[in-house]
Order: sequence, then structure tokens, then C-alpha cells
Amino acid sequence: MRQLFHILKFKLIAFIRLDYKITVINIFINAAGSLIYLAFAAGGFFFVQKLFHFLLVEIRVGLFLLHEFISMLLFIFFITVNLGNIIVSYSTLYKSSEVNYLLTRPIMPLKIFAIKFLDNFFYSSSTLIMILFSLLAGYVFYFKLSLGAFLILVINFVPFIVSAGSLGVIIMLGLIKLANRFGVKKIIYSLITAYILLIIFYFRTYSPKLLVDSVLNFYPYTAMKDDYLGELIQTLLQYLPNYWLSQSGYWMVRGDIYNSFYYFFLQMTICVTIFSMAMYLGHRWYFSTWLMNQIITSDLSFYRTERKQFFRLGINSFFNGQPEAIIKRDITIFIREPSQVIHSIILLFLIVVFLVSVSGIKFIGLGNIYLQTMIYIAIFLFNLLFITTLSLRFIFPLISLEGQTFWKVKSSPVSNTSLIKHKLLIPTLVIVVVSLTLSFFSNYKFGIVLTFFSMAATFSSAIAVMSINFGMGGLYANYREKNPVRLSSSQGASLSFLLNILFMLFLVIVLFQPLSKLFLSIMIKKPFEMNVFYWSLIPIYAVSIILSILFLKIAANSIRKDI
Amino acid sequence: MLELVNLGKMFGSFSAVNKISLRIERGQLFGFLGPNGAGKTTTIKMIAGLLSPSNGNIFINNIDVWKNPIESKMKIGYIPDQPFLYDKLSGREFLFFSGGLYNLSKNTIKDKINELISVMKIGSWIDKRTEEYSQGMRQRIVIASAFLHEPELILVDEPMIGLDPQSAFDVKKMFRDKVKSGTTIFMSTHSLNVVEEICTHVGIINRGNIIFHDNINALNELKLNRNNNLEDLFIQLTSDE
Repeated sequence: MRQLFHILKFKLIAFIRLDYKITVINIFINAAGSLIYLAFAAGGFFFVQKLFHFLLVEIRVGLFLLHEFISMLLFIFFITVNLGNIIVSYSTLYKSSEVNYLLTRPIMPLKIFAIKFLDNFFYSSSTLIMILFSLLAGYVFYFKLSLGAFLILVINFVPFIVSAGSLGVIIMLGLIKLANRFGVKKIIYSLITAYILLIIFYFRTYSPKLLVDSVLNFYPYTAMKDDYLGELIQTLLQYLPNYWLSQSGYWMVRGDIYNSFYYFFLQMTICVTIFSMAMYLGHRWYFSTWLMNQIITSDLSFYRTERKQFFRLGINSFFNGQPEAIIKRDITIFIREPSQVIHSIILLFLIVVFLVSVSGIKFIGLGNIYLQTMIYIAIFLFNLLFITTLSLRFIFPLISLEGQTFWKVKSSPVSNTSLIKHKLLIPTLVIVVVSLTLSFFSNYKFGIVLTFFSMAATFSSAIAVMSINFGMGGLYANYREKNPVRLSSSQGASLSFLLNILFMLFLVIVLFQPLSKLFLSIMIKKPFEMNVFYWSLIPIYAVSIILSILFLKIAANSIRKDI
Repeated sequence: MLELVNLGKMFGSFSAVNKISLRIERGQLFGFLGPNGAGKTTTIKMIAGLLSPSNGNIFINNIDVWKNPIESKMKIGYIPDQPFLYDKLSGREFLFFSGGLYNLSKNTIKDKINELISVMKIGSWIDKRTEEYSQGMRQRIVIASAFLHEPELILVDEPMIGLDPQSAFDVKKMFRDKVKSGTTIFMSTHSLNVVEEICTHVGIINRGNIIFHDNINALNELKLNRNNNLEDLFIQLTSDE
């Protein structure tokens, strides 16, 4: 134990000393970062209250449905943390040079496993915990719960996240064992299929629309919707940690502490069980799977045959010289990095699911114009959230991924403009096509004007979001980090995400009034002057252009820095 | 060919390079000597465009490196001390990438790669991913990439690290041949033997200041006058007392 604390102490010292150098720029960056964090925390706090007010008072969904929606969001959150931990734990537990070093010292592999587990967990989940903290505060404040209730909910959340992380590490250990027996590719494809089936199964069993219909059909009285309607929930789903967490909150709000503690107890029990299992399996399997991974990796490289892809360096193509060298290098490295490919497939799948879902939505005539406006804006923001996720995951790390080999490009006759242009060309094309497709399919039912308006707004917003992420990626560049997943879950990436959210808030402010007027005129069958939308494009384009120029300049300046 | 004028670099209050001035002519193989932390790598990185000077100027054929970076970099081939490469690219792909950065045509790159594979004795390793390479093989690929566009000036930082005796011999021969054909080489090294063996001119830097700059014959004379070998002379010149 003493050895474990000794290592943790020095890791903590190293972590604290990371930004020791005090310069005006560092102070400015940190102060700006803290301000954004604070703004976002405050935004999250007030947003939750406004949203709950809207759902409970304006639309009257009732406490039960509200907590079921929360449960669904928590399920997605659980899967995200879980998948994130599988991917990040591979690089921290099996590919880190720190592990190579520690394994040559007289340290039990279990201790190394525990250290890297904590390292991995806190590194990738700290921002999420911060965001949840402010949302939780908003939740507690809205329902006028006590400070004690707030603390219980916070303590409830931690084991929920630890369970997701521990499960991720257990799956990782199992995957290496299975990959050693059946081959890496088969196991990766099976894992992706399993997660896709799991998500489909969950939302088929637990469709939000079906749930709302059931509540409205069987309990048409508003007051009843606050009552516990557990019989509408499938038995299997009642055994999931996300359900326990939302139920703990539900009973807390209803003042039934006994029931709330019951779910809290379940949460703690499952967390202790999964965490202990992760440590036990770490003790049994970590070192053996580490050795297996060495063999798997060397076998993979020994039997590897490079296929003749059209973008291969050395084959003639449309581009030549510098554009070709930069573009083909980026594509080649991208497709040879498993985490990049796996994340792309997952995000592509989610985009397809989203496209299929939104293209079927028909809500004109629902009655409440604010509800229609909110649904429309929610879909618009969901499009942007996808673009933000894509940008954060694939564009934010672009500059850092130049890595320690940046010396080659920087000592070559390549201008910064040319480098930025060619690095961004392919990702921009992909993201713009995805965003316009999303926009088209979520709008085509509203007629050509609104479709065109939405596509135009999405286009400029997508460019702004990409520029923000690229610029922030430059500002927080870390050329030593080779793992794109770790880069896109770093402190700089969190700040970048928060800036994107602020930009989205601006879009909501600009869009709310013209959209609610449109839906009102549709409802009362009065002609509507569509030109209003063209006027809203002016501030959207102005701000997008300013942000794009500003953040591209930040990126260019950061490239210019000494390395 | 290469001219450094009052070149300086500060890291905070620490002066790594202290307003040095040097002039190196075409076809010279300049050995840049100095103890650890003397400012050799910082100077080379400033010439290569990786560190911005705090003061002074760098000229290559009268072109200011920091005012016309693209034009001057066309004339430079840089070989760093830490040969970082893209792990996921093969040696051949890295060379195609490097050639592309100088806008060389595919056929030119192909011909140069074939020539360099044989000169640098890279063999079938050229098509393996660089993550599988030894330090020496990485160094050979980096050296090959620096010669790909036939630069007028080669900047080399510790070229012999990780090379086996045969490779070191090949590299030295290559440098000598290149210098004969008019290329200028600016080489930072700790290896005094290498300097004695192949350099035409020598500069010694200590604590950011140039303390000796002349041709190899002048250094040999100084050595004889003081009845020293080069190692003793170097230690005398760079000692703190």
C-alpha cells in the first residue's frame, strides 16, 4: 500500500506542476478557461430549471415521465462513459510508456493496474463530473431540496460513473483474452455489433413515444402523471443503474426518503461489486493480458500487408506536391489508428439513427406553438451537437497529432496557411456534407424556404464550430500526446466544448422569435413573411465569420510557436 | 552560404545563445562543437525554423530565414537529434511525404528513394512501418529524407547517435561526397573523432558564446602548439575555470 501511495504522490506532484510556468499568456488562458467553466456551470444550473419549468408547468409531462426521460439520458451517458473507458483504457493500460517503465520495477502488476485505472478514470471523466455537478445543483434548486439531498445525489452519481468505468475496464481485459484466441478484427467487429444491438434493444423496449402514449392513454389526468407508474417499465430495465439513479431522484423529490435510499443502496452495491470484480480480474489477468497484447501487436505487424489504397502516398492522384503529402499523410495515419476508425463507425451509426428518427417527426398542429418551436430548435441543436461532437473528436486533435514529428513539416517550405488549408480540407468536406444532410432531412417537410434557411444557418454554424475546435486544439496543443481520444477529452477540449455550447445558446436566442411566429401563423392559418428568416441569417453569418476568422488565426499563431 | 548575425535566444532570463555571429561558405563541412547545454541544438533549431530567435538574423544565400521562411527552407535539409517519425507510416511512405512537402514529382522521389535505399543500406525495411524500426534505422530514414530534395545546406544535429560502425562509416562517406559536390553541411556533434575525420571547419560554442571558429588546420595547429590531443584541447577551451 505504501508503494501505491508513493507512486500516486509523485503522479500528483507531476500533475500539479504541469502548468507551473507563469506567463501572461498562461494566466490569460487559465482565466478565460475558468470564466467559461463558470459561465457554463451557471448556464447549466439555470437551463435545468427553465427546462423543468417548461416540461412540468407548460407541457405538464409530470414527475414520472420527467424522471423516465432523465433515465434515458443517463443510459446514453452510461454507455458513453463505458465505451470511452474501453477505448482510453487500452492506451493507458497496454500502450503507455509509463506502464512499460513501471513493469520493469519491483511493483505488483495489480498496483500498476489500479494506478492506471484511476489515471484513466479521472482524466476522461473529470469534465463530465463538473458538468453534472452544475446540472444536479439546478435540479436540487428547482425542486427546493435540502443540501443533504444534494450531497446524497452527488454521492449517488459517483458510483454510477465508477460502475460504467469499471465495466469498461473489465470488458477491455476480456477483449484482450478473446482477441488472443479468436483474432483482433473479429472481436472488435463483435463488440461494435453488440453495442449497436444493445442501444437498439434499449430504445425498442423503452421508446419515449410509446411511454408518453401509455401514460396519456391510461392516466389522462394531469395530477396522476406525478404518480409512480412503474408497471409501464419493462422488468429488465428496472435492473439498470441509470434507472436506479433516476428513481432515487424521483423519490427524493416526492419526499419518500426510504424509497430513495433503497435505489441509492442498489447503486452502491452494484458499484462495489463491479469495482471489486475489476480489481480482482486486474489481479488475475492484467499482466498476462499485457503480455498477450505484446504478442498480438507483433503478430499484427508481422502479418500485415498494406493494401493499395487510392490515397496511398506514392500513387498518382488529383493532388500533387504539398497538398497531396499533407492530405494523404493525414488520411493514412487516420485509417491506421484503430480508435479513430472505431469512433468514426460509431458516430456514423448514430448519425444514421438520428437521420431516420428526425425525418419521421411531424409536429405541426400539436397545438402549443412554444412546444413546436422548442422541438424544432431542439432538432436544430441536436444537428449542431453532432457537428460539435465530430469536430471535437476529429478536428480538435488535428494540430496536436502533428506530434513530435512536426519538425519535418516545420522545417520544410510549407506555409501555415497551406498547412491549415490542407489539414482542414477533408474533415471540413465530411462535416459540411453530414451537417447539410442532417439539416435537409430534419427540415424538408417544412417547405423550401425553411429548409434553405436551416441549411444556410447550419452551414455557417458548422464552419464556426469547426474553427472553434481547430483554434482551441491549437491553443491547447499537446505534441507529446499521441492518443486522439485522450486529446479530445483533455481540459482544452472541455473548454472548446463549452464554447460550442455558448455559440449554440446564441443561435437559440436568434432563432426563437422568428420560429415561434412561423408556427403561430401556421396554427392560425395566417400568411407568414418568410423574409424574416433571411434577416436572422445576418447575425448568424456575422458571428460565425468573426468566430471562424478569430479561431483560425489562433490556430495559425499556435502553429507558429516554438517547438 | 550561411550567415548568422548577432543571433541570440533567450528562454525567460536564461540566455541559451548569446548574440553569436558566424559565416560558413559553400562546400564547407562545419563541425559545431560544445558541451551539453552550450546552445548547439538551439542554434540549429533557429536555422531550421523550429525556434524563433530573440535577436539577430540568419541568412542563407542572403535570404533572411525568418523573413522568407519558405524560400530559405527549400534550400535546407534538416536532420534532428531525436528522429521522431510517424509510427503508422512506412519508411517509403515517409519519404514520399517528405518529397511532397518540397513539391518534388513522384518520379523524382521514386528515383531518389531507390538511390538512397542503396546508399543508406535500408533494404527491405523501407516498406515496414517505422514503429518497428530500431533507433539506427529511424536515423537512416531521417537522413535519407533530408537529402531527398538535394538541398544546398544540410543541418545535422548529432548524426551518429544509434548508428552501428558500418552505418556511421556510410554516413561520413556520404557527407564527404556531398561536400565535394558543393553542398554545405552544418553539423553539431559531440564526437571529436568525427570532427577530426571529416570536417573542413570547426566552431566551438560554450554557454551560448562562440569561443573558437576557424578551419580544421587552425585547430590542428592550436592543438600542436599546446601539445594536446583534440579532447584535451576541447576540455581546456570549454572548462568553467
